[in-house]
Amino acid sequence: MTTTAPAPVVGDGTTARSRATGRWRRWRGPIAILSLLCVVGLLAALPEPRTSSVPLAPDSTAATGARAVAQILEEQGVQVTFVRRASAARAAATPGSTVLLAGDRNIFDQSQFDFLADLDADLVLVDASWPASELAGVDSSWSDVATSAALEPGCDDPDATAAGSLRASGRVLASSPDTVVCFRGPGDAADQGAYTVRTVEGQRVAVLADAAPLMNAHLAEAGNAALVLRMLGRHDHLVWYLPSPYDTGSDEGEAGPGLGDLVPPVVGVLGLQLLLVVVVVAFWRGRRLGRLVTEPMPVVVPAAEATRGRGRLYRRSRSYGHAAAALRAGAASRCARRLGLPGSTPAPQLIDAVALATGRRNPDVAALFYGPPPTDDSALARLARDLDDIESEVQSS
Amino acid sequence: MALTWRAAVLAALGIPAVLVVPVPGTVLLWALVVLVVCAVDAALAASPREVAVVRRVPPSVRLGEPATSDLEVTNVASRRLRALVRDAWPPSSGAVAPRHEVDLPPGDGRRLRTVLVPTRRGDAHADRVTIRSIGPLGVAARQASLEVPARLRVLPEFASRRHLPSRLARLRELDGRAAVQVRGAGTEFDSLREYVIGDDVRSIDWRASARRSDVVVRTWRPERDRRVLVVLDTGRTSAVRVLDAPRIDASIEAALLLAALATRAGDRVELLAYDRRVRARVAGTGGPRLMPALADALATAHPELIETDWAGVVSQVRERLSQRALVVLLTALDPAVVEQGLLPVVDQLTSRHQVVLASVADPELHELSQQRGSAAEVFDAAAAERVGLERAAVAVRLRQRGVEVVEALPDDLAPRLADTYLALKAAGRL
Repeated sequence: MTTTAPAPVVGDGTTARSRATGRWRRWRGPIAILSLLCVVGLLAALPEPRTSSVPLAPDSTAATGARAVAQILEEQGVQVTFVRRASAARAAATPGSTVLLAGDRNIFDQSQFDFLADLDADLVLVDASWPASELAGVDSSWSDVATSAALEPGCDDPDATAAGSLRASGRVLASSPDTVVCFRGPGDAADQGAYTVRTVEGQRVAVLADAAPLMNAHLAEAGNAALVLRMLGRHDHLVWYLPSPYDTGSDEGEAGPGLGDLVPPVVGVLGLQLLLVVVVVAFWRGRRLGRLVTEPMPVVVPAAEATRGRGRLYRRSRSYGHAAAALRAGAASRCARRLGLPGSTPAPQLIDAVALATGRRNPDVAALFYGPPPTDDSALARLARDLDDIESEVQSS
Repeated sequence: MALTWRAAVLAALGIPAVLVVPVPGTVLLWALVVLVVCAVDAALAASPREVAVVRRVPPSVRLGEPATSDLEVTNVASRRLRALVRDAWPPSSGAVAPRHEVDLPPGDGRRLRTVLVPTRRGDAHADRVTIRSIGPLGVAARQASLEVPARLRVLPEFASRRHLPSRLARLRELDGRAAVQVRGAGTEFDSLREYVIGDDVRSIDWRASARRSDVVVRTWRPERDRRVLVVLDTGRTSAVRVLDAPRIDASIEAALLLAALATRAGDRVELLAYDRRVRARVAGTGGPRLMPALADALATAHPELIETDWAGVVSQVRERLSQRALVVLLTALDPAVVEQGLLPVVDQLTSRHQVVLASVADPELHELSQQRGSAAEVFDAAAAERVGLERAAVAVRLRQRGVEVVEALPDDLAPRLADTYLALKAAGRL
């Protein structure tokens, strides 16, 4: 066989430069999109300080949060340290600082607060009845009647008098006579008020019965801001202790060793190395030896498809008449051919001929070939079988 | 750029190092090592673009027969070329083991042979030749795909040629040229010869006998130099699959057998593949060049999913044929299609020519009409019966207009059409 003699092909018509250009053209779109996404992501993430929605947290911007107070304090030069664990609070509370215990909602154990008494720091207990009774010996009660009107100081505490007024709900009951009780409500007893300051064994303990004055939503009301800022800004350092429900109060200060502490440290690095191996294997297996070769596929049209469709159509429309007529006509034409009759033989002649060939009675044959159409599935099937029988009889005659 | 299994092993070798110094820096360092080794190895590999490639393929091959694609690879670089070469062909070309490993010193060349066993008729266009040149360390490789155009024409199988010897023998019987002197019922006067006992007395030429003392008989031979036009319908009905092969394949087989037979019988054969325009045409070719020309033209005849324009067929035939000829229509005996398309115009053909319509029958139709298993099957049987009756009716109508109708299963169509041709020839109806 002859063969064509084409000229040899050397190279694919590209140079290193054209390939680099081509690659750059191909990838510059995705690279541009990716870098744009990165820049937008960074811009969105960087200047935004972390916020939360935990009530009374100094980073919470919710109505119940206290970010406003924390920010004002920081602007005034007070360093705010936010802690959730007792151990962290103890570590952070340096001598000469203020420790705020914000709320007792998550305090389940005395160990979560009893260390506060040993600290060389001023305490501020806000909305914390159990710690207040343990640490300062004042009981708390809740009343929601006094929220409407601002309370008058009614005492000689400098912070209270400077604030002038306060809008708060809770009350503390001072059990000892040396306690200064401020902001008594209209119907309150002499030892009942919203704010009290007491010095316990050399430690200044301020108790605010209600957390509302700290919250972003209520800070601006009445003299709330003045009282809170003075109360918390006594020293340059404020430890903002918001007890966590997950704090077991244990000395480790951790919830227990995690999975990362249990496995040897080599595992993480080994995982990284295995990742490198996987990446290399992916590049090894992922590169094709040339592109996939495509070719048009021929259409596939089964020949009997239209016939089957017609059968389904007969069935769906329950056309027993049509189906039976087709079966009868087919059988009749085959019988006629077998008996040597032309295709145009009239019915009586065909009936006679078939009856003669099979020995059946004329009316039976006539009923079979030209009788009424069947009316259900079983009758149609019976007719088909009967036609088969008579056809085979004619064939064997 | 491509990597080999050695690169993966190199990366895995970092695991002991990590176990000794378990810091993330080790992983980073090892990744750098792998990267540098791969880059250096790829840079040291011979350029796959400095390889001269020549692809040689035979111009055509018969369907089902093996062909070879020869790739001559010459290293024109100054470095030694260790490479993996892929000779890419479309799937239907049936390339056996198209990947080859070569190791060529500078200036050396090698011939790589890929065996192709095509499974589909038509033109197979070779795809790119991909060369992956592996570096001296065997870690990384450079890769390039080169456009090396090549075309392999896959001709029709012509499996029906096995029927040719028996039909040629029948033709020779007609011709009176057989070793056994059986005179055929030809229609053209051939010669006079002496009467031998056994000759038909009706063929005695009395006038010639009177001039001589012997009794002389006329001998006849089949008519010669008739024209045969094969029209292959490439419309949508030719795409229909019968026994897992499109109808057009069986039609092509029949066309080839008929052409081979007719050209041996001394007739001139022309071919026209048509749907709404001419898809292939062979005319004015005779003798030994006819069959290759036909195979070449039919190789690329594929079904088009459009309705055949029969009026166009008729005008093509009238344009082509001035004298009486045998017109063979290779199409489908589809009742609806024939009634809409062929029947209105067939008179224009039959008035001047002998027309034969050859169609592939569907064995599934018979199977369908026999089944009685369920109500659905009986309905299908009724539908098949109705289709069969309609086909018979349309065949009768065509016969009434003088068209010879040949309907046969795919494998039988070619011999049946050849037999019809011989019968027509014997009857002198060409």
